[in-house]
Amino acid sequence: MQRRRVAITGIGMVTPVGNDVASTWDALLAGRSGGAPIAQFDASGFSTRIAAEVKDFDLRAVLDDRKLVKYANRSHGFALAAAEQAIVDAGIRPTAETATRWALCVGTGMIGVPYEELEEVHDHCVRDGEFDPKRLLDDASANDPMVFCRSQAAAGLALLGRRYDIRGYATSVHTACASGGQAVGTALKVIRRGGADFALAGGFDSMINPVGLSGFCLLSAVSPDNDAPTRASRPFDVTRNGFLLGEGSGFLVLEEWESARRRGAHIYAELAGDGNSLSSYRITDSPPDGDGPIQAMQQALADAGMAIEALDYINAHGTSTPMNDRSESAAIKAVFGAHTARIGVSSTKSSMGHLIAAAGAVEAIACALAIDRSEMPVNANLETVDPDCEHLAIVRGTPRRGLIRGALSNSFGFGGSNSCVVFRHPDETDAQLAAGR
Amino acid sequence: MPDARSVVITGMGALCAVGRTPDEMLAALGDGRSGLGPIRGWDASAWPTRVAAEIPDLDLRKLVKDRKLLKLIRRTDVFGLNAAAQALDASGLIEWRDALPADAMPAVNDRIGLYVGSGGSLCEDQYDYFPLISESDNQLSAFGEQLSATVNPMWLLRSLPNNVLCHVGILHGLKGANACITNHGVSGMLAIFEATEGLRTGEADRAVAVGHDAPIAPQNVLYYHRMGLFSRDALRPFDAARNGSLFGEGAGALVLETRAAASERGAPVVGEVLGGGYASEATGLAAIRDDGDGVERAIRAALDDAGLAPNDVGMVVAHGNGTRASDASEAAAFARVFGSSMPPVTGFKWSFGHLLAAAGAVEVVVALRALHAGVVPGIATLDTLDPACAGLTVSRAAKRPRSDVGLVISRGFGGTTAALLVRAQR
Repeated sequence: MQRRRVAITGIGMVTPVGNDVASTWDALLAGRSGGAPIAQFDASGFSTRIAAEVKDFDLRAVLDDRKLVKYANRSHGFALAAAEQAIVDAGIRPTAETATRWALCVGTGMIGVPYEELEEVHDHCVRDGEFDPKRLLDDASANDPMVFCRSQAAAGLALLGRRYDIRGYATSVHTACASGGQAVGTALKVIRRGGADFALAGGFDSMINPVGLSGFCLLSAVSPDNDAPTRASRPFDVTRNGFLLGEGSGFLVLEEWESARRRGAHIYAELAGDGNSLSSYRITDSPPDGDGPIQAMQQALADAGMAIEALDYINAHGTSTPMNDRSESAAIKAVFGAHTARIGVSSTKSSMGHLIAAAGAVEAIACALAIDRSEMPVNANLETVDPDCEHLAIVRGTPRRGLIRGALSNSFGFGGSNSCVVFRHPDETDAQLAAGR
Repeated sequence: MPDARSVVITGMGALCAVGRTPDEMLAALGDGRSGLGPIRGWDASAWPTRVAAEIPDLDLRKLVKDRKLLKLIRRTDVFGLNAAAQALDASGLIEWRDALPADAMPAVNDRIGLYVGSGGSLCEDQYDYFPLISESDNQLSAFGEQLSATVNPMWLLRSLPNNVLCHVGILHGLKGANACITNHGVSGMLAIFEATEGLRTGEADRAVAVGHDAPIAPQNVLYYHRMGLFSRDALRPFDAARNGSLFGEGAGALVLETRAAASERGAPVVGEVLGGGYASEATGLAAIRDDGDGVERAIRAALDDAGLAPNDVGMVVAHGNGTRASDASEAAAFARVFGSSMPPVTGFKWSFGHLLAAAGAVEVVVALRALHAGVVPGIATLDTLDPACAGLTVSRAAKRPRSDVGLVISRGFGGTTAALLVRAQR
């Protein structure tokens, strides 16, 4: 029996450079940065005071369901908005007949409690520097079921499932910065094995709050270039010094290929392959030789049945940390050898910043769009390429235009999970199918 | 001739309030012993819910020997690492690998997957910031300035929901396909489910599946009470007087291999994963459908996946979390699937408490030990079967399974249900 193939037929994004697909894509092609001084809270005392925040976002303006809005924290709001875009774009949604054949796979962030609520609990329960758990008993926030519901790891999943009446396979995954990529990869596997015919897959996150930012400042993982926020994220540049913290969401509607073709849906790309590996090296670092990411890319290509000759674009994890970009460059060279000089590479984190659990999802969409529009987004802010990364054909200045037969998106997480997802041009897929492959 | 990619179980481990090994836990069920008792983790005497199944006499340093590592992980992670170590020890996998020629090892490691069900973050994880909020007098500018002098620089890493995935990988050099599932009560079961699919489809040849959780914390207990999910005293699945669930803590783990990979190394086969099914109900976070629609669909999908008929099932380990709605809907689903030919049904949460993300993994492990021993443990807190669950084949007394096939059910937030069919090696 031929393996089922999966089509991408709907996309939606809320990112620091645009609250929809069109504006985000324009910014990624222009290399426009979403970096700015943090506006959501007073970050003046932090070593890093900049981030790439979602701007002018009003969930109530995009969602008519007041009750659902009440249950949504900031990142869930991004998710609901991005998913709505994707569902509308696909022109298909679960019905009474198909609801059990829809899957929902989401990459979800790790911080559920907004800082204001933590502070409220602190103010009520900490006396003379000592936390007194008994005071929780009459604390407003600690007794508010709404606070609880919004804080749950499964909250975003529950909101999306309810909004779209999805009744099949439903899962939240969290492998830090690889979450979004793994969610998309999981959806691919579920449709392939017949567990669903359709999927809504994506990721959402917002760690731009005092606790989230603190976590990254303490690890010196974020760029301290407070005076140049739009230049702070410069993947593969020799002067790079950390990532730019972003937030947002990306969602994709996925469908079994034949049924998408039958209904005449616009197919952005085939979601063709998924690869996963563990670095098992150190909790925050990738091995300098690219071990781990190498296996993820090789598995994803093998899973897609794609030769390295057919791959034209890589959307790199490219965080702009010294370690990641060096390791990833080594891994790309190890996998693609002489083809490395030909394959366009860009990290869209150079514009959007790092969307953490949402990163893999929005970057999967960037790959689908690159294939659909035959243009590769730029790697912004690259002035002097790190000698360790010189072998890469990085897309600089202006988008690189031309047919993209195959594309690949990398996402590597704290904890050592490496996710790689591979995409194929729909004409290539149709040609393969016509040839009986 | 069994399929070479069918999935066998070659090692298991588990711990919770009533035992530090699967066999201790099975013995507790046989003795009618519950781990539920007064909470000792903090002074909970004024809490509306004062009962949970905490692991007694716990010395985390004895569960994870590496002191440096212990500083980098949370209580829940310690449980996960311990269960994984038990399962790996029992399987002999690491010993076998380490005896391979050095040049053969990387290829084996790249093909060992790791699938973890994790409870995600707790509100309490952020309490580490309380001293900083106090010292900065609620001024965020001062908060930022005093941050590095006050908060453990490793706070973020310590709080990662995927720490068990990370550290089991590092400790044992496992480098294959992986997942970390943060899906509340179905997480552990989904970890086994995804590992099984990974082995079947060739994503890996061997895999470790782990579920771990430690939800017994003051603010979290309060929330579950306010959500109306908790009992005041005991967990009585399917009983007319049941009034809610209660927390437990711990972890379960299994080493899974394709039949070909297991026989390649002459591994001890203790059971087999026959199939899995999964469904959701689109009901929001905590609500579920009264008719058990999701449970029924998950079971039917699992039977279909395994190529089995309802009559082939020898024992059902129900989710049985003790809430009015969940138990009644589960019983309704069983009645529709099994009709008048229902195998013995039991549940373990009355004894272990509800281990949330660990529940599925722990209950599959103990179900396999029970099938192996040829016993369906009784539910000691069952007094009067709820008339709404009439026909349900639960009892206080132990029974014999009618075959060596077990069906285990897990349910979680988001209206999700996972069902797994396993066979014990007799």
